[in-house]
Amino acid sequence: MGGLSAAPGAVPRTPGRRRWVLVALLAAIGAGVFLSPVLGTYSIAPETVLRILLHQVSGGALYPNPCAGAPVPVSGCAGLTEIVWDARLSEVMLAVIVGAALGISGGTLQGVFRNPLADPFLLGLSSGGTVGAAVVVVFRVGVSEQNLLLPLFAFVGAVATGGVILVAARSRFGSVETLLLTGVALSSFLSSVLSLMLLYNPTGSLQVDQWLLGNLGALDWTQDGIAFGVVLISGTLLATYGRELNLLQLGPDVAQSLGVDSRKVRVRLLLLASVTTAAAVAFTGIIGFVGLVSPHVVRRVAGSDYRVVLPGSALVGAGFLLGARDIALLAFPGTLLPIGIFTSFAGAPFFAYLLYRRRRLSTMGGS
Amino acid sequence: MTAADPPLRLRGVTVRFGGRPALQDVDLEVARGQFVVLAGPNGSGKTTLLRAALGFLDPDAGSVALFGDDVRELPVIERARRVAWVPQEETPRDDVPLFDYVLYGRYAHLGWLEGEGATDRAAAQTALESVGLGDRAEDGILSVSGGERQRAILARALVQEAPLVLLDEPTTHLDIAHQLDLLDRVRSLVRDRNVTVVAALHDLNLAARYADRIVVLSRGRRVADGPPAAVISEELLARVWGVVADLRRDPRTGAPYLLPHHLVPTSPTAPGTMLGRGPVHVVGGGGSGAPYLRALSEAGYRVTAGGLHLLDSDLEAAESLGALTAVEVPFAPIGEEVRARLRTLLASATAVVVAPFPVGPSNLPNLEEVAGQLGRIPILLVRRTPGPVWDFTGGRAEALVERLRRGGAREVAGVDEVLATLAALATPRPSSTPTPAQ
Repeated sequence: MGGLSAAPGAVPRTPGRRRWVLVALLAAIGAGVFLSPVLGTYSIAPETVLRILLHQVSGGALYPNPCAGAPVPVSGCAGLTEIVWDARLSEVMLAVIVGAALGISGGTLQGVFRNPLADPFLLGLSSGGTVGAAVVVVFRVGVSEQNLLLPLFAFVGAVATGGVILVAARSRFGSVETLLLTGVALSSFLSSVLSLMLLYNPTGSLQVDQWLLGNLGALDWTQDGIAFGVVLISGTLLATYGRELNLLQLGPDVAQSLGVDSRKVRVRLLLLASVTTAAAVAFTGIIGFVGLVSPHVVRRVAGSDYRVVLPGSALVGAGFLLGARDIALLAFPGTLLPIGIFTSFAGAPFFAYLLYRRRRLSTMGGS
Repeated sequence: MTAADPPLRLRGVTVRFGGRPALQDVDLEVARGQFVVLAGPNGSGKTTLLRAALGFLDPDAGSVALFGDDVRELPVIERARRVAWVPQEETPRDDVPLFDYVLYGRYAHLGWLEGEGATDRAAAQTALESVGLGDRAEDGILSVSGGERQRAILARALVQEAPLVLLDEPTTHLDIAHQLDLLDRVRSLVRDRNVTVVAALHDLNLAARYADRIVVLSRGRRVADGPPAAVISEELLARVWGVVADLRRDPRTGAPYLLPHHLVPTSPTAPGTMLGRGPVHVVGGGGSGAPYLRALSEAGYRVTAGGLHLLDSDLEAAESLGALTAVEVPFAPIGEEVRARLRTLLASATAVVVAPFPVGPSNLPNLEEVAGQLGRIPILLVRRTPGPVWDFTGGRAEALVERLRRGGAREVAGVDEVLATLAALATPRPSSTPTPAQ
């Protein structure tokens, strides 16, 4: 910064600590991705799992025979590789993708609504997805291609719900409070639509229940790839809006006086957050509290700068969901516990804690 | 945007909120390097005018131009490069360090995803120093006092480097020292950086002290406009704010200075409305008015007095009670200026008490002015004790008193009867409303 009249030492800089937090999180998740496939319903020795992973990652160059010395199932080393790579790793990757999607959406929505309790579920995005999924199940739409149709309908349902909120956002009277209430009203409306559908078609209720509980399993790399692609694009776009979100925290008018087209930015962010959330819930069903809790954790650790909060929420969300999967498998070995149950189990007490601290939150937007 | 274009120009701007007009056909052109104050009562349209200038709302008619270009056609980011805003109050959500808060002002000057560079950081630090917060850069915006927050917002407007700065009652939440401090800083902004400032201010005395020009709004219309000395007057305050005040001059700055006294009565003739505690004017002289002034003041009435001559003991009594007065120099006949002042006082009074004062040619105008109020407000004529000569005008005073009597002035004897009569006037008489015959 040579040549400036102001003494360089007098100018404060953003504390470097914040960036280190992000790097550390990223490293932890990377390690988690490699270690998590050890856990599952079928016990495999950790060193075998690592060897299989390294073998696959290196394209067969490392550990030409990864299963050497390990007990293999009837299907042989290929079967073991399938379990570790295709079943477990794809599940682990999905946990990372979905967790990141929910985390960054939650961070965005809390910023857009200037409300520490906003999250994708409060706004009815997930209810919209559930109704979309239920349509496929209840009306037996294309039974043979349900693996792709169900996520598609869920995606459309969630995005359509976001669209309704967007219409409200575009209107002249679209204050933040109105939008939030629109979302809450929409959410309970959609829940009643869902109940009605299940009341008349009770046969589909088990499958819908499964969806409501949230599940990471029973997926393949194609679905992972689709989710990854959508979340990567929309999430990256969201992460570029950190500065605008910082300014929006001062209120839409002040933000506009500083150069942010508040209404336009708000609409874009809602759209992107809807798509991101929809991509996540489409494949897994409802996974609660990740979107709500992750941004709060980041703020507490790294401050309220949205340029850090957004990527940080994605990382914390990814870590949270991955950790939830692992802990669920450790706590209930051999069981495929729906992940949504576990996140809600851990998230609800945190939510109560937030409510307890509400007096401070109302002035600080959470910390 | 050329050098000749005024920073702000409103042409026939009308803004309605649900049918209620907030601005009506307002024309305004602000020249470069001026400190313009928008004044006016609550709801007169000051904030609406500023919001229209910022492009926050679409006028129902007319146009707003910033440096020659219609504000609604400028991209939001370009507006931010031309005009900065200091709102009355900001409600930040997070405890952002002041330094970062000020840095937000650089947004309009940064490219997409461009981080703040060394130049921006230096500008923020300089701005913080220029508002006296250089050593508070790390403190959170929610942790500092209201005055410091307001100064930080001003610093943010500074780094925005906009040639026009709009302030909406920026001193509302500040104590007197911080009010002066903030306005001093704004003033020097205008002087040193040739920035144009338009500020809505409630305090007319601060406005008179700092503004180059005062624009007065009333019910959405521009009703007065000009340099403070030409705009600020007792008449303006009574007409626009409904307040009777004393106009003085600040001995150091020469700026007009208003001492508000009381509200203009809403309806002087309606019994029971303002009379209860409303201002009562006492005409006296030579010590005759003092007992009435004191008794009325003691009973809770606001009082005014005059016209009186300097050194008169009635004047001393009136001033000790904080009364507004119309005053003439000793021994001179009451002149036209004092008569006008007396008329203002009488116009805002709910009743007049005429004390038994000796009348000569110099104070005869007092009776003439009181006679002018006949039929408008109650006139209480204190009965004179027979004996001493009081009319030194060759019968003209006697004739005026006779005219008052015939015109409906009530004759009262002494202080107690004055108070009793006023109290009776203040209570609506049951007989005044038509009741069914018994």
